Amino acid sequence: MNPTQTLWQFMHQESGKLLQQTAEHIGLTFISLLIAILIGLPLGIWITGRKKAAGFVLGFAGVLQTIPSIALLGFMIPLLGIGPVPAITALFLYALLPIIRNTYTGINGVDPVVREAAVAMGMTRSQVLFKVELILAFPVIMAGIRTATVINVGVGTLAAYIAAGGLGEFIFGGIALNNTNMILAGAIPAALLAILLDFILSLVQRMSRKKRRTALRIMPLIILGFSSFYMLPMGYSSRLLAGFTPEFMGRSDGDIGLRSVYGLKIKTVVISDAVMYKAAFDKKLDVISGYSTDGRLNAYGLVVLEDDKKIFPPYYAAPVIRTAVMDKYPGLAPVLNKLAGRINDSIMTALNYRVEYLNQTPEQCARDFLTAQGLYKEPGKEPGRSGEQGTIRLGSKIFPEQYILINMYAMLIRGYTGLQVETKTGLGGTKICFQALVNNKIDMYPEYTGTALLAILHPSPEDLRRLGGKKDPVYNFVQSEFVRRYGLRWLEPIGFNNAYALMMRRSQAQQLGIHTITDLSTYLKKDSL
Amino acid sequence: MIEVKNITKTFGGFRAVDDISFSVEAGENMIFLGKSGCGKTTLLKMINRLIEPDTGEIRIDGTVVNDQDPAVLRRKIGYVLQNTGLFPHYTVAENIAVVPRLLGWDKDKIRERTRTLLEKLHLPPDKYFSSYPHQLSGGQQQRIGLARALAAYPPVLLMDEPFGALDPITRASVKKDFKELDELRTKTIILVTHDVQEAFELGDRICLLDKGKIVQMGKPAELLYHPANAYVTDFFEDQRFQLEVKMMDATDYPALMRAFTHLKNRTNA
Repeated sequence: MNPTQTLWQFMHQESGKLLQQTAEHIGLTFISLLIAILIGLPLGIWITGRKKAAGFVLGFAGVLQTIPSIALLGFMIPLLGIGPVPAITALFLYALLPIIRNTYTGINGVDPVVREAAVAMGMTRSQVLFKVELILAFPVIMAGIRTATVINVGVGTLAAYIAAGGLGEFIFGGIALNNTNMILAGAIPAALLAILLDFILSLVQRMSRKKRRTALRIMPLIILGFSSFYMLPMGYSSRLLAGFTPEFMGRSDGDIGLRSVYGLKIKTVVISDAVMYKAAFDKKLDVISGYSTDGRLNAYGLVVLEDDKKIFPPYYAAPVIRTAVMDKYPGLAPVLNKLAGRINDSIMTALNYRVEYLNQTPEQCARDFLTAQGLYKEPGKEPGRSGEQGTIRLGSKIFPEQYILINMYAMLIRGYTGLQVETKTGLGGTKICFQALVNNKIDMYPEYTGTALLAILHPSPEDLRRLGGKKDPVYNFVQSEFVRRYGLRWLEPIGFNNAYALMMRRSQAQQLGIHTITDLSTYLKKDSL
Repeated sequence: MIEVKNITKTFGGFRAVDDISFSVEAGENMIFLGKSGCGKTTLLKMINRLIEPDTGEIRIDGTVVNDQDPAVLRRKIGYVLQNTGLFPHYTVAENIAVVPRLLGWDKDKIRERTRTLLEKLHLPPDKYFSSYPHQLSGGQQQRIGLARALAAYPPVLLMDEPFGALDPITRASVKKDFKELDELRTKTIILVTHDVQEAFELGDRICLLDKGKIVQMGKPAELLYHPANAYVTDFFEDQRFQLEVKMMDATDYPALMRAFTHLKNRTNA
């Protein structure tokens, strides 16, 4: 990827994806809005004049509104799995409160004298509702629909975490890849979409009373029309379904490489790695982009497909630390290097398995490992042997492997030096962690050579070819470039290689005779003929 | 003809209407007169079932109102509200056409009827046909409210303080149009007011109410000259002179002298 590419160039190059994501986003927004109106409007009407029911319904919808959106999506997964259904359900629940509340407020706000006149003229209950109350409450109800629409456009970006598409694919891909253009390519259209829809609905809201009757008739058609955007044909169709993380989708050693080097054509959805393995196990997905040391690999009966054309570069983990900190505390580096070469792929997989599948805490897992290795020391036994005092701030990305490593480093520092440790876990993706380090918010975090190479350094194609995806040349290149460009130091590699890998269910892979990515690509080509 | 038998209405322990019976002849103007809270509006609204009585029975032309579909019943009863209650989202013409439309009249008939009513109420149809209520003055709005009540030729008209919200000058002019309206002569009208002058001006009979009961019912002269009790006398005392003048024929000299004497005595007392 060319680092000097402008946003416009990026959007132009990815215009196909951008259009598809925008269409999906509009579709998600309007399907959930439509359902919310179909349920919220009658419910809002029903609770007018029913004080007890109104308190209950509004209270319940209000509680739904306070659930953080990411948590609500999390609740949806065990109930409804992944894909559009849980995403639309979550968005629907968010849209519900403003619609119910504004319908209720709007109808209750109709002048009682006018309502009495309507009844006294001989209108039936439904005539009073449709000819008078709804028309007069229209601006208030529309304001509720506007609020719901804007909420849905915003929360809709999170749909990308559970394979429901939308502009969140670019946003989360961009954050993971340290690619500002990609973030903006998702964020700007999402913001514009919110502003545009809000503006259009504000025009509808301010319609004269005469035009409202027409608007009421046309609106459902327009909403249905937009909802159908989601049904537009997407990508390839194939017998197997792939689920890739947003990060994987945008990497040259990810989806892009699979397409260009292997010619892989597979129907793909974007999904968060938190739910990806489970979805593969549940046969919702057939091929996923996992990490070769992930503990769930064993737990869910998945098998790694051999990367026979070598598109995934090595991802050896090592601590990255600010040079100033190393210089200030000369005793620190030897302590951190105690882990070097100690953890190979299978040990790391086993450690991850304990945390991800057996639900042990990262702290306990780290302590057990260090104890077994004879490295664990109680804090304060050898206080300040080198007379050093201060605090080291450790950062980590948000997945278990990083939590485990960070805990090990914290225990080593406390056990072998007089330094204090402050941990800042959960710094999102690569971009956030790396920026925190560069901007002196943390002092070190564990990084992977491949990630540093492709997501941070963006080397020229010649450099990439020269390095050839080999372990030592990549490590040396990354180390020298980090010192030169950022004043950051790489310590010795810990030992394991947490590379990207394509995975399938073991049973399915055996049944189809797929062992390598080339096998997969060949199978899919045969399938489509 | 409207017959009301033994009706009672209680609101949370408060007896708004307490066992009232009376009847209104066809074509008669009946006035419900009384102070606020005397039950006159509650009584009126029970006739078109905006309020349901607890006990008792109301018949219009022999049919019990509570046996009818309320919506169908109300389309046959004109209703004028104090604060007009015009539909703000309807034009003047659409407001007047509400009941004819509910009754399914054809478009030309509705249009013609609307124009006729606007002309009778001195609102040039071409000017006001497509206006909205908020573009009209209070007096004009009240005229439209009256036109809306009359549009479908209801034999019965209920009016709840129809001039109550207007300033004195507008009130006089609207009342004048109201009295000149030929259509009203044949209708059975019940009008609620707290204004004694208005009651005497418009009523064939007056029903004076207090605390949910009828104190006295009869022709204006009966109430004035043959009060049933002290409450009735006191009720008219402040305006007795104007009322007596209003009652009399200007050539009836002795009656005029009696009125002046009464006024003088009162002033001296």
